Amino acid sequence: MRGKQSPRRLLLLGLLAGLLVLVQSTLALAAATTPDETLAALLSQARTEAGHGCKGDRADRLVRVMCAHTLRIGVRTDYPQFALRNGDTWDGYEIDLARAVAAKLGVTAELVPVSPANRISALAEGQVDVVIATMGYTTGRAPLVQFINPDYYESETVLIADRAMPIGGWHDISGQSICVTVGNNSSWELAEHGARLMLYTSPQQLLSGLAHDECQIVAQDSSFFARSLSDPDFARRYALKFGFAPVPWGMAVARTGASELQQALSLTLQIFHRDGVLIGMARAHQIATQFLEKQQAAWRGVCATEAGRNDAACDLPPATSDLQPTRFAPQVAAVEAWLSNRLGISVALPMLQTEHAWLLFRAGIVNSLLLVAGTIAATLLVALGIGALASTSSRVLRWPARMLVIVLQSSPPIMTLIVAAALLRGFAEFTPVTVMIAAIAALGLINGANAGQAIAETVAAIRLDAGPAGEPQLFFRGVCLSAKQIEAFLINAAKGTPVASFIGAPELLNQLTDIGSFASSRASIYWVMLAFYILIVAVVVRLSASLRGFLQRRAGLA
Amino acid sequence: MKGLFGGLPADFLWQVLGGIAVNLHIAVLALIGGFVLGIPLALAQVRPGVLARAAGALVALMRASPTFVVMFFLLNVIPPEMSLLSMRITISGVTIVALSLLPYSAYYIAESGLDALHQLRRNSPATALLFLPNVGRAFFVLVMASGAAAAIGVREAIGIIVRQADRTPTRLGQFALFALGIVLFGIIFQAGFALLTVVRRWLAGAALRRSAAAGGPGLTPPER
Repeated sequence: MRGKQSPRRLLLLGLLAGLLVLVQSTLALAAATTPDETLAALLSQARTEAGHGCKGDRADRLVRVMCAHTLRIGVRTDYPQFALRNGDTWDGYEIDLARAVAAKLGVTAELVPVSPANRISALAEGQVDVVIATMGYTTGRAPLVQFINPDYYESETVLIADRAMPIGGWHDISGQSICVTVGNNSSWELAEHGARLMLYTSPQQLLSGLAHDECQIVAQDSSFFARSLSDPDFARRYALKFGFAPVPWGMAVARTGASELQQALSLTLQIFHRDGVLIGMARAHQIATQFLEKQQAAWRGVCATEAGRNDAACDLPPATSDLQPTRFAPQVAAVEAWLSNRLGISVALPMLQTEHAWLLFRAGIVNSLLLVAGTIAATLLVALGIGALASTSSRVLRWPARMLVIVLQSSPPIMTLIVAAALLRGFAEFTPVTVMIAAIAALGLINGANAGQAIAETVAAIRLDAGPAGEPQLFFRGVCLSAKQIEAFLINAAKGTPVASFIGAPELLNQLTDIGSFASSRASIYWVMLAFYILIVAVVVRLSASLRGFLQRRAGLA
Repeated sequence: MKGLFGGLPADFLWQVLGGIAVNLHIAVLALIGGFVLGIPLALAQVRPGVLARAAGALVALMRASPTFVVMFFLLNVIPPEMSLLSMRITISGVTIVALSLLPYSAYYIAESGLDALHQLRRNSPATALLFLPNVGRAFFVLVMASGAAAAIGVREAIGIIVRQADRTPTRLGQFALFALGIVLFGIIFQAGFALLTVVRRWLAGAALRRSAAAGGPGLTPPER
């Protein structure tokens, strides 16, 4: 009998022993002062809890990890130097980090492939315990998952260009063409500084654009260019000009049921930063270490003290990714949904959804209308001026006018605009207003010179018919008889105005391209743009026809 | 010279000439497309009726379509790769530019073609032949307009010059490069326009000789 104890008594003894270990772990946790001690106590407590049962669903994710002896980590498979999978072989900074974290927790790492599209849902649905997958800590994502502080990397948008290009900062990019990828939230900053954006669908296309000279300057996440910049051939030709819009990268766990896992991962990262583990991994994969060096200094210094825990360096804020919606955004969304559900037409109207896009859209429409009106006025003025000079009997006046016409007729319109922009850069400040004026002048000269030549030729023909004495109101009659040519060049002028976007004029094409750079869809944007310009030109065609009718009536032709 | 241009590549002139060949290639493609689309549209408008009105509306729509806008529209709406009869077709930048010039080209061929058809019906074949120099003029306008390809990164002449200018350290060097481009294009355009004038005068003279009553279709400038 002595040797035998009742099951009830055994259970009681077991519970008491468990309670003792728990109390001891909790006391150890409370007494711990360093991240290492706190982590050791936390893991010990989790292992104890795991030892007492792994079937409950209510246990923290950390306990379940201990039960499974496996940490399921969501990682990417296609991001060079960060996470790349080649058959059964995994390689990259994030892969090393994932394995090191699992080892620190004393469990096996199970790498689960995730993509930017499913990494958050994989966490929410419990397919993975933690995600280490190039995920930026942004205000948009912060409410969806639990990010782990501290961050394990930081990237920024960088400008890469030919080494010879003199680009030192924002002041040098106004009017420059920059290749970007669609849907990049930081592109609006480039647009705001006067850059002309060229849109590409994938970052790989940017590299191809650089190689084939399609792009002079490209902007993309610094992490994407990490490998290219470590390639001597690439680095010999191109250089990083400057960076902006930094985004910290964070590990993340599910929002609920993972507070202990979150704490364990946070302590692990604190230790890794302090001990330079992350710097070592980054160097091994030839990626930038500046952020990690700053973090190491912080976690060795101010963040390691109780007083420093509230320091900004110890808990970096998320990058702002949200664009303020317009007050009518819900109605726009309702219309989009109605079109999709009722008519099966997928329409996205990003220009109406956010305040920033709406502002650009409105400015684009106003600027386009001003540009068209200004160009038509300039065309008429130049036509009359060159027509008058080229019809005069004075060679001193006639020949310069004819030379100007020949030069303008020899230059493709886009070249004339480029020359106008270069002149503007050389002699005045390059602002949205000055570039609009330069575009109006160039387009007016291109079309007005041709119309002026037509007037001069008509005046010469009338003079030939009327004899040396000429006829009264010769020039006016010449203008009236050239009405058809003038009409054609006025229409040309209106149709040519979108070309001004090439030199950075903030007209609608330019503004819609900017909107497309940070919107998720761009097809609808370009339908709107096409409709707008066809409408504008149609109006100009009608008005020009009226002007022609008026002039022909005055000339007695109609 | 090196100081002015900042190390101009030895083959730069060849690059620019190669780029001009791309401009000409784009213009030829657009002109061929213009014929394919424009001639049926001209024929459809010969006799009044519903078909003529529909063709007229389409021509008016094409007339009002700005090339540069159409180019960006196609660039962003057409997928870069398409399948046609189980063949995979890659839409290149050159194709996009040629397609964007198609509305102008087809409109111009349709209008000039309709003029020529009217002249033929009036028994003025020589005047109708003025269609040919008009097409020639449209071709040079297409070459000029093909420079818009620089905006989407196509390696045509203007794009090559602009890229080199961006690498040129001095403003004077940049203007020298632009001047070179204008001279090269100018030689082509002025020679072409001179040839067209000769052809036009010869045809107009022939028309006058054949029929004193027949008036030429005029030298209405082509819209771009």
